[in-house]
Amino acid sequence: MNPILVLGGGPAGLSAAAELAALGAPALLVERENYLGGNPKRWHYSLLAPDLKPAEEILGALLSKVEGNPKVDLRLSTTLSKAERSESGYLVTLKSADAVETRAVSAVVLATGFDHFDSRRKFEYGYGRFPDVLDFKELEAMIHDDRVVRPSDGKPPRRIAWILCVGSRDIQVGNPWCCRLGCAVSIKQAVEVRQKHPEIDAYVYYMDIRTYGLWEDLYWKSMQEYGVKFIRGRIGQITMAEGGSRLLATGEDTILSRPTEVPFDMIVLASGMEPGVGTKEAAALFAAPVGPEGFLSPSLSDLNPVDSGIPGLFYAGAATGPKAIPDAVTEGMGAALRAYQYARR
Amino acid sequence: MSIVANLPRRTLTLTEEEAPSPPAMQLTGRRRMTSEERAAASTIFEEFRADPRHHDFVLGCLNCGECTTGCPAARFYDFSPREMLQIAENGDATTLWDAMQEKIWACCQCYTCNMRCRFGNDIAGIISVMRELSVSHGLESTRKTLAPFGRSLTLLMTVGTQVSSDMIQPDFFRDWGPFATGSDKVWGVSAEVMRKAIPLDVLQTTRSAWEVSVQTSLELFRIYEETGVLDMLRGLDPDLTEMLVDIIEERREEFGEARERFRAELEGMKGPVATFTG
Repeated sequence: MNPILVLGGGPAGLSAAAELAALGAPALLVERENYLGGNPKRWHYSLLAPDLKPAEEILGALLSKVEGNPKVDLRLSTTLSKAERSESGYLVTLKSADAVETRAVSAVVLATGFDHFDSRRKFEYGYGRFPDVLDFKELEAMIHDDRVVRPSDGKPPRRIAWILCVGSRDIQVGNPWCCRLGCAVSIKQAVEVRQKHPEIDAYVYYMDIRTYGLWEDLYWKSMQEYGVKFIRGRIGQITMAEGGSRLLATGEDTILSRPTEVPFDMIVLASGMEPGVGTKEAAALFAAPVGPEGFLSPSLSDLNPVDSGIPGLFYAGAATGPKAIPDAVTEGMGAALRAYQYARR
Repeated sequence: MSIVANLPRRTLTLTEEEAPSPPAMQLTGRRRMTSEERAAASTIFEEFRADPRHHDFVLGCLNCGECTTGCPAARFYDFSPREMLQIAENGDATTLWDAMQEKIWACCQCYTCNMRCRFGNDIAGIISVMRELSVSHGLESTRKTLAPFGRSLTLLMTVGTQVSSDMIQPDFFRDWGPFATGSDKVWGVSAEVMRKAIPLDVLQTTRSAWEVSVQTSLELFRIYEETGVLDMLRGLDPDLTEMLVDIIEERREEFGEARERFRAELEGMKGPVATFTG
């Protein structure tokens, strides 16, 4: 059997490759970066919601099934430059710094994932101008290294705000969808900060809290056990407070229907999830249908969530929409199974 | 415009006869509406919801409050674009009626709310629809609110402007407009000092802005007639409307006479003459 191509080495791709290997099928795992682990690895995710397990533990378990596995042909720092349908599957051209190689594969799993929204596009938050306005992926790395300090002066903050839905649910930036995880991850970060530094006040500014399903527990506990404060309404602009050392967040408290203006030492933006660069490129290479949001569209999102509708082409993970790691791992398994069935047809 | 935010909120238990008019904006104990007011409120509500612009302007609302955050009026008045949109989207006849008494006039139509709105609503637009209805239905409160603006309105309706263009010189208003850049430090002077540098003779001759050609004036008035603005205003302030009509009649006569004179002059000329239609 020709190998099954898995494009993307994040949680979904790792899961698909591991599952193919477990089925006894050869997998060709192609990753554009020089490391495996996708966004969680790239941005040094700390604990993962909702069970608060270290990201390394989850990724480590996936990696141990893939790295060194004789069934997995691993290609790092490699991209796909061409894909042609063939009778037995696809002919794909792999491109790395020193080689171009054409391989016949029996099926393809696209696990090309998402990119975080570039918060500079919400100019009113001053991200990129004010050093103490952070993207939550940057705070994630800070929490991971247990070094939560203001980038401007290296001092520990006394009061931190999280702003949800930055670059999500927002027609102004062209992203009307919900990122699904901004709420849970922000609340988890607030809990982590309060756990380690109870002297830091944590405020979350929200429109709706979408800690869906069993994740609701995290939301409740964040208030009951960790004293995280929730204010309904958005911050509409961030400026420097008088004196120039603190940030001033201006917004409306929409429950009390009154304006709020609160100084903060750090403000964290929960940036949304957009189709990744790899996802856009793969959609073009495989002429795969995409939805209005730019994510890959499964042929039937309810019955065939990992099928593209194109023979031999399958999807897994955040390439088809914002997704949590457990869902990406599940889809990796599903896509592996469907690709295996196709290869053995 | 009274600054409602500064008024203490009271619980009123007044009878209809004792109640102040127009109804004050209070959270509780609002004055009971008379049957005429109820009927008017219901008509206005129906017209409002049937206006095609309502469909285009009001799309939905996440109640995020970013519109109110950016709103200059919300900083000074008991006014919130978010509340206005909520009323436009979900409100009933009474709520709409209440908002139209006073609150809609706090808006300065800067459209910052529209720029901020992540749902893509036209909030300033829907407020201006409410204003139109309050004028065309000649609401008593609107009459009172707009009474001090009669002079501005007269100028706007007859010559199309109320600010002298001489005054708006970029040099003196570097902190204004879409291309405003820099700060006091860059300019070397504060905005206040810049204003003081406006030559006095310019400041004193604001009338020059109001000296428009008769054609311009007539064309403008024609637009107000054709688009129904004049009828709308008639419902609110018949006296002012009559005055405007008088002014424009005078201008029309003036224009007619000028045209006759010009024709006579043309006929008096010898030789071939370029034809003129006007």
